[in-house]
Amino acid sequence: MLKFLTTLFPAGDFTLLAVILGMPLLGAIVNGIWGKRLGKQAVKTMALSVMGIAFAASALTFLLLDREASHHAPEHVKLSWLAWKWMSTTGGRGASVPIELKFSVDALSGVMMLVITGIGFLIHLYATAYMEKDPGFHRFFAYLNLFVFSMLVLVLADNLPVLFVGWEGVGLCSYLLIGFWYKNEANATAGKKAFIANRVGDFGLLCAMFLLVQYTGALDWNGIENGAGSLVSQADPMQVHLWPIGGGQFQGALSFLQPKTPLMITGATAVGLMLFLGCTGKSAQVPLYVWLPDAMAGPTPVSALIHAATMVTAGIYLVCRLSFVFVLSPFTMAVIAFTGAFTALFAATIALVQNDLKKVLAYSTVSQLGYMFLGVGVGAFSAGFFHVLTHAFFKACLFLGAGSVIHAMHARIHDDVKSQDMRYMGGLRKYMPYTFWTFGAATIAIIGFPLTSGFFSKDEILFKAFVNHPVNGAATHMGATAAAKLWQQPAWIGPVLWAMGFTTAVLTAFYMSRAFILTFFGDFKGWTIGKPSVPSHHDAHDAHGDDDDDEEHHHAEDLKKPGLAPHESPWQMTVPLMILGTLSLAGGFLNPALFAGMFKDHKPPMDHWLEPVFEEASKAIQVLPSAEAAHHKEWPLTGAAFVAFLIGTATAYYFYITSKGAPAKDMAGRAPWLHKLLLDKWRVDELYEATVWNGTDALADTAISADQGFFDAILGRLTALLAAAFGTLLRVVQNGVVHVYAGAMAVGVVFIGWFVVVPRADFVVQEQNGEYLLEAAPGMGYAYRWISEPANAKDAKDAKAGEEKFSPTSTQLKVHLDPDKSQTVRLEVKNAFGLGASRNVTLTRPPAEKPALEKLGAADLPTMKLGNN
Amino acid sequence: MITTNSYVLLSAILFTIGGIGFLVRRNVIVTLMSIEIMLNAVNLAFVAFNRAAPKGHTGQMFAFFLIAAEAAEVAVGLAIVIAMFRLRRSVRTDEADLLKN
Repeated sequence: MLKFLTTLFPAGDFTLLAVILGMPLLGAIVNGIWGKRLGKQAVKTMALSVMGIAFAASALTFLLLDREASHHAPEHVKLSWLAWKWMSTTGGRGASVPIELKFSVDALSGVMMLVITGIGFLIHLYATAYMEKDPGFHRFFAYLNLFVFSMLVLVLADNLPVLFVGWEGVGLCSYLLIGFWYKNEANATAGKKAFIANRVGDFGLLCAMFLLVQYTGALDWNGIENGAGSLVSQADPMQVHLWPIGGGQFQGALSFLQPKTPLMITGATAVGLMLFLGCTGKSAQVPLYVWLPDAMAGPTPVSALIHAATMVTAGIYLVCRLSFVFVLSPFTMAVIAFTGAFTALFAATIALVQNDLKKVLAYSTVSQLGYMFLGVGVGAFSAGFFHVLTHAFFKACLFLGAGSVIHAMHARIHDDVKSQDMRYMGGLRKYMPYTFWTFGAATIAIIGFPLTSGFFSKDEILFKAFVNHPVNGAATHMGATAAAKLWQQPAWIGPVLWAMGFTTAVLTAFYMSRAFILTFFGDFKGWTIGKPSVPSHHDAHDAHGDDDDDEEHHHAEDLKKPGLAPHESPWQMTVPLMILGTLSLAGGFLNPALFAGMFKDHKPPMDHWLEPVFEEASKAIQVLPSAEAAHHKEWPLTGAAFVAFLIGTATAYYFYITSKGAPAKDMAGRAPWLHKLLLDKWRVDELYEATVWNGTDALADTAISADQGFFDAILGRLTALLAAAFGTLLRVVQNGVVHVYAGAMAVGVVFIGWFVVVPRADFVVQEQNGEYLLEAAPGMGYAYRWISEPANAKDAKDAKAGEEKFSPTSTQLKVHLDPDKSQTVRLEVKNAFGLGASRNVTLTRPPAEKPALEKLGAADLPTMKLGNN
Repeated sequence: MITTNSYVLLSAILFTIGGIGFLVRRNVIVTLMSIEIMLNAVNLAFVAFNRAAPKGHTGQMFAFFLIAAEAAEVAVGLAIVIAMFRLRRSVRTDEADLLKN
């Protein structure tokens, strides 16, 4: 079967990718255009079936890829499909850079593709129940399918421009879905915030593309890899001049700006930093992370799919994809690792005190993304990528669980903010058993309970952060001795990064346990549970707060009145939860690095699978102090991570179960400013507002006053005045009397007639080496006669030449003149009406400049002539 | 014998009369009549030339088409005159100045 499919879809023309890409696009188009008329049932069927087919095709592709990979091991196997040639540009070395709409799947993108379609399918299924009562049902699924399509384009792209198309596409869908309930201004604002923050990152990605075209002369993965050598060139013109910008020299009054040595970085560092700027935007890292927490304004399935499982991992995917570029610059690697570690720690501190369940999960996502960047930043690409996978399992499960809880809370609390507030929850364990167990499974996975998926992936990142040491990857391109002179990371980086990661692990264990305990344990605090005294005319599931009339009514509802107990969600919601919960628990065994010894070649399955992708990059990663010594550190470091888990969880247990939250209140009371600062998310939003926002505003104000004060006031009015003056003049002519117009036309006709009837004898003269060519201007019915006679009129033979007849074809006359001679030529013209005209010209050839040269034949020796001039 | 020159001369005179009539008269009906005179002057020239150079009868064909075009033009022109009369109660061209100012 597989063999047959291999012949049907050869590796070079793997059209199955068209099915994977086309299905979600089809769903988006059908649901987007006809969804409203088709009805909910059809929209549901469409959305689920396209995702199902895409997942099946992805799984098949994965099997074919596996078969191909096992045949060609250890090569880096790719199945690619060229849709069409898009355009072509010119690279830095003058080479033509084709930009093709080409897709390919290899080990890395294969895993991503499975995650996107698989988890995507589960979340679509979940959303069919979650969004059931929403009036924008079809719109939601159109966006969601479009998102899946864009994400697949991003992942399957074979070059940066196509990846960029997907990159922008997911950004667009993210914007549309964050502001899905656009009637609420806050949601629309959150969408815009996400979009704008991402634009900053996209600027970096675009710059990186320009640099790559300039340096490597290619934009596809293979081409970049082949041309990567020029990125590390130490030659002065091959470096990126930061100061003075673009090279050059400050002179005169500006000379104080000239540094002693120009500030330069290699192309690899510039490209790496620019790419990473793009990643910080899309993957919500410091300093561009601010949009992700706000993005929780969208429906919860969106948070699960886009803002936890898939889109936000695009940055990590990009770093993994171009790992061979990043390792060329240890500086960039250090920046990535530190940004990741700092973001992980920073976001975790904010998550400690948030009361909104989704906000806790949002900051947790930012924090976990930081972990992933920490992993790839220390060169543990497969560990970082494995965390992408496990994070997709447990974070999707957490978000969907949170959605299930919110769904239940929404039955009585219709305020969007309150229904997500953990202070109103508690004790839900009894009412929502499936949600409780699956949420619990995902929680223990994220906090690193031994043998769960998060335990394996996070431990490996922490371990690698401690022992890995990226050396300058330039060695493969320029030799070890030359590379050794370049900047290298200091040895203390590893332990520092590990310490940051360890602290984050403690905090993660604390805040996730806190969220879990507050939601599911203790007493229910939402409303009084009992038999409703007045039967509510509202259904228990209600529209999710975007129906204006309803909303007003709900707010008035008194929560003190007894109401029905919170209810478990329908099967469409619990089944995805159970699948994801199981994966959260067991997914770690895809890559149990701790038990690597049990596998062939001491490589756990996932590392083994991804090995060809990271082969080039892994050459630049050293293990300190030695592979052997590092191996002995593995178990102690795992123990340390377990300790982090214990500290965090035990503290949370003591705080919120044993003491019922008293110590937390006590601490908040003792340092209210710190608590407030954390609750306000370190006031980063306010900082951005004060600097970036107000700066932009001030600039805009300046532009407005310049526009109104100068352009509108002076230039605009002057132009208007000029136009008005001309108008006044011309208005005199436009007197509205038809006869005047007709008279003007008659006069015009007379002039045109005169022009046609009266002949003109015109010609142009061209000269070359004494050969004169006279060419007469054409005209209606013209016949020509040339009369050429010598100036002294002595030559009777020449005079006779003038007695030719008029001929319409003799438009040209050739005359030869010797130097210092002249001749008069006369052109006579007769037109169709028999009218004639004539013109005389005297052609004079100037004397030769140097008689001596004339003898030598100056015309034959142009170079000598030039030299003497 | 009447030569082609005489026909062309007559045609030119008629055309000039029509042209001057068009330019100086203010009554739309007269204006239209002047246009007719000009067109028929052209027709006369065409058939005269056709007699001088009858090969293919191009001149006659042109004259026929011109007559058809004239008929259409008169129909449209008179319709405009009626519409204008309904609007302004007048058929004087200098009173048709709605677009002025």
